[in-house]
Amino acid sequence: MLQFKLVLLGDSSVGKSSIVHRFVKDTFDELRESTIGAAFLSQSITIHPNDGNEANAKGVVVKFEIWDTAGQERYKSLAPMYYRNANAALVVYDITQEDSLQKARNWVDELKNKVGDDDLVIYLLGNKVDLCLGTPDAEISQESNEDGDNEQKVRAISTEEAKQYAQEQGLLFREVSAKTGEGVKDIFQEIGEKLYDLKRDEILSKQNRQINGGNNGQVDIHLQRPSTNDPTSCCS
Amino acid sequence: MNLNENYLDTDVPKRQLRPSKSGNFDSIPIVAATSEPTTSVNLDETFFRKAASPVLITDERSVSRSTSINSLNTAYLASSRPFSQVRKFQARNNLLSADLISNNDDKSQPPKIQKKNSDLYSDWGNDIRSRVAESIYSMETSVRGSEIRRRPYVSNEIPNIFKLPNPNHVNEPDASQVLRDKNFLIFTSAGKPVYSMHGKDEQIMSYTGLVNTVISYFQVNGPSDLKTISTFASGQRLTFLDKSPILLMAQSERGESSNELLNQLDFLYSYILSSLSERQLLRLFSKRENFDLRNYLETTDFENLNEICSLICNRMFPDLLLNSLQCLPFRHSSRLKLQDLMLQQLDKRQDIPRGTLLYGLIIAPQNKLCCVLRPKGHTLHTTDLHLLFCLISHQFQNLDETQELWVPICFPKFNSSGFLYCYIKFLPNDADNNEKSALVLISAQKDAFFSLKTFSDELVAKLEGERLLKKINASKGFKLSDIPAPMVHHFIYKSKQNVQYVMPHFEINSSISLDSPQGLEYELKLKTYYQQLHGTVVRDNGNLLSRSILNFVKWSSKDKEDTTVDGMGMTFSELDEYIIGNSSFEQESVNMLGMAWVTPKFELYLIGNNGVVDKKVLFKSARKVVNWCQKHESRLFISDGAVF
Repeated sequence: MLQFKLVLLGDSSVGKSSIVHRFVKDTFDELRESTIGAAFLSQSITIHPNDGNEANAKGVVVKFEIWDTAGQERYKSLAPMYYRNANAALVVYDITQEDSLQKARNWVDELKNKVGDDDLVIYLLGNKVDLCLGTPDAEISQESNEDGDNEQKVRAISTEEAKQYAQEQGLLFREVSAKTGEGVKDIFQEIGEKLYDLKRDEILSKQNRQINGGNNGQVDIHLQRPSTNDPTSCCS
Repeated sequence: MNLNENYLDTDVPKRQLRPSKSGNFDSIPIVAATSEPTTSVNLDETFFRKAASPVLITDERSVSRSTSINSLNTAYLASSRPFSQVRKFQARNNLLSADLISNNDDKSQPPKIQKKNSDLYSDWGNDIRSRVAESIYSMETSVRGSEIRRRPYVSNEIPNIFKLPNPNHVNEPDASQVLRDKNFLIFTSAGKPVYSMHGKDEQIMSYTGLVNTVISYFQVNGPSDLKTISTFASGQRLTFLDKSPILLMAQSERGESSNELLNQLDFLYSYILSSLSERQLLRLFSKRENFDLRNYLETTDFENLNEICSLICNRMFPDLLLNSLQCLPFRHSSRLKLQDLMLQQLDKRQDIPRGTLLYGLIIAPQNKLCCVLRPKGHTLHTTDLHLLFCLISHQFQNLDETQELWVPICFPKFNSSGFLYCYIKFLPNDADNNEKSALVLISAQKDAFFSLKTFSDELVAKLEGERLLKKINASKGFKLSDIPAPMVHHFIYKSKQNVQYVMPHFEINSSISLDSPQGLEYELKLKTYYQQLHGTVVRDNGNLLSRSILNFVKWSSKDKEDTTVDGMGMTFSELDEYIIGNSSFEQESVNMLGMAWVTPKFELYLIGNNGVVDKKVLFKSARKVVNWCQKHESRLFISDGAVF
């Protein structure tokens, strides 16, 4: 079993907790309370890597340990504690909130500056696509008036804009809906495979070592990135 | 014992009493012997069916009058009649009566109706039995285990004699009405609004000027004890708490003492500190005096403030009033076992550096403290725990055992300028109900999550192994019927040494959920009784009048006075109006006796059933309650907790 640490970051009320709950419990709650502090959850999935390794023919179980952080500004100083050892970061924005992408950009910058590790997989996620099914990107420019009563919200961030940003920064990118579940499972599958690819050599050598050590085939591998920065400096 | 007996019979403010509506027909004589609980039997169609024809009503009313007298005087007789004739039962809180319809040998009852209703209410029979049984178990005469139908039918509900807001409107954001019977406002010293329980910005803006003027008056006049303005004409009371850069104001018509209001304001202020910490708050305002705190507070903060305000104003929340915690009644040996396991676990995890784990708590559903792990010589302040409990019961109610939380909280009475970090995990509960107990581990180190997680994982596994979790989830508290104390409606017993209190379950009709308007109304009513009882034993500064006090408080109504009170703008809820409008409403006469008994060891606040007017009888029951509580002290209270 592989174990990866994963952290969710992003502005408040973009739907981080909802995404996690869709992934972990496959439920959605319209009236979710804001997270305060952070919540720790875990969930396992099976991936099928194409690396020709016979040991993995049945698939590899990947356990995600997930830190679902609070988006509120006040808890920002605690964030380094959660992303410091992460293997992957999901940076979430709300496609109906213009400034949530800017917040997401700030998180990406912070991750790149503070972690500075190419092994960290950063995934940019646009959430709440279910709100904008009726408004394709082409119509964005025409939609000028904001209709508050309408459930159908106006898309504020086009797919192209976010996609382009993700490509520039080398991030994975997807638009999802925690409410309908669209795309949520795929994210974690994709991250699992990506991390597996990145760590293949490390994993294989550890596997061999443990098997040779006569561990009855029980293979537990914890891949923890070494701390890249001084724990005191990140919490100023 | 030094008994300082005060009789307040005549001091009940008349305007708070509710008039009895006798209507235009002879009132039902409700004559109860002094030591008997009230009984009122009402036979009327209109309670149950809005569209009852007027002819039927008159018919039934005549029946009603005759049987009610009958069944009062011969309670046993009436009750021994077959249940098929008990057709309906309704216990509305402020009707305060178990309305039984027993038309046994009455020939005047049109058979047509009986037939019509028999299928409508056929399944009520069992329900009524159980509820009637519940409502009378505080009667000495009731023989437990005997057949229900041999018992007397009595109501032990208590009347609503206070002018209370209609709970239906409590949660409605009615913008047009800022001046409610109770409101909380929070401002900054510069006059910017931070929070208001009721009322929008535009409406409370005008208050900022007023509040600031008043506060600066207090400041100019030096440190003074003056913190409250009361107007006797309207019964308004405005109380201010100056915590510059934050100002808080409470406005109330509910007759609370200024000290009580100050405590409530302090609790609100403590919440703000718990979220921000005092250091951060001062820093925010040191840069700019006119800082708008609302930009810094989050939606969650406003939701939590709303929750706390509604807890203070609308729910039975004696924690603040008595400044103590509610404790989960738990078998003493199990509690010891629980504490042992926690200490063992702490011993085992020697790798956790000392000081990483400051406190450990197990909190049962409904915010009852179940177990404490604490360092020697340190306890947590009740305010801090109340804040934590509020967060757990409100903020985290959607969470379950699959997630673990790591939450920075400033405990203002522990250290108002720093944060502690709380590991919170809900414990698995097999039962279907949504009630979860929680394990809370408190640390001063922000990166201690994973060591506490291992601690918790191992502890929870052990608890499950020893079946203690099941026991915690199964612990249901106690009922009044567990105590052989007749004529008592409800009580609160506070153990002073442990700073904890216990109270029996609410005596409320089981078909009424506690969150329904009726349930809320009941809580508010009970709360007000206790508030007034407590008010008789404390000085205005909140200290007890004396070391030992025994006070009786009587709430009673006299019909003649009531009719005059009626002209003074008494308001009735819609349902009351409806019932009165149909001339079926008989206001029960109010004869409530309450008791506050304070000794160096305990405080007992006790409310008798309506109609119990004999102080000796009530005092006798009170002694039984006290004896029972003292006998079961080790089960009811946590004496020391697990101390390391």
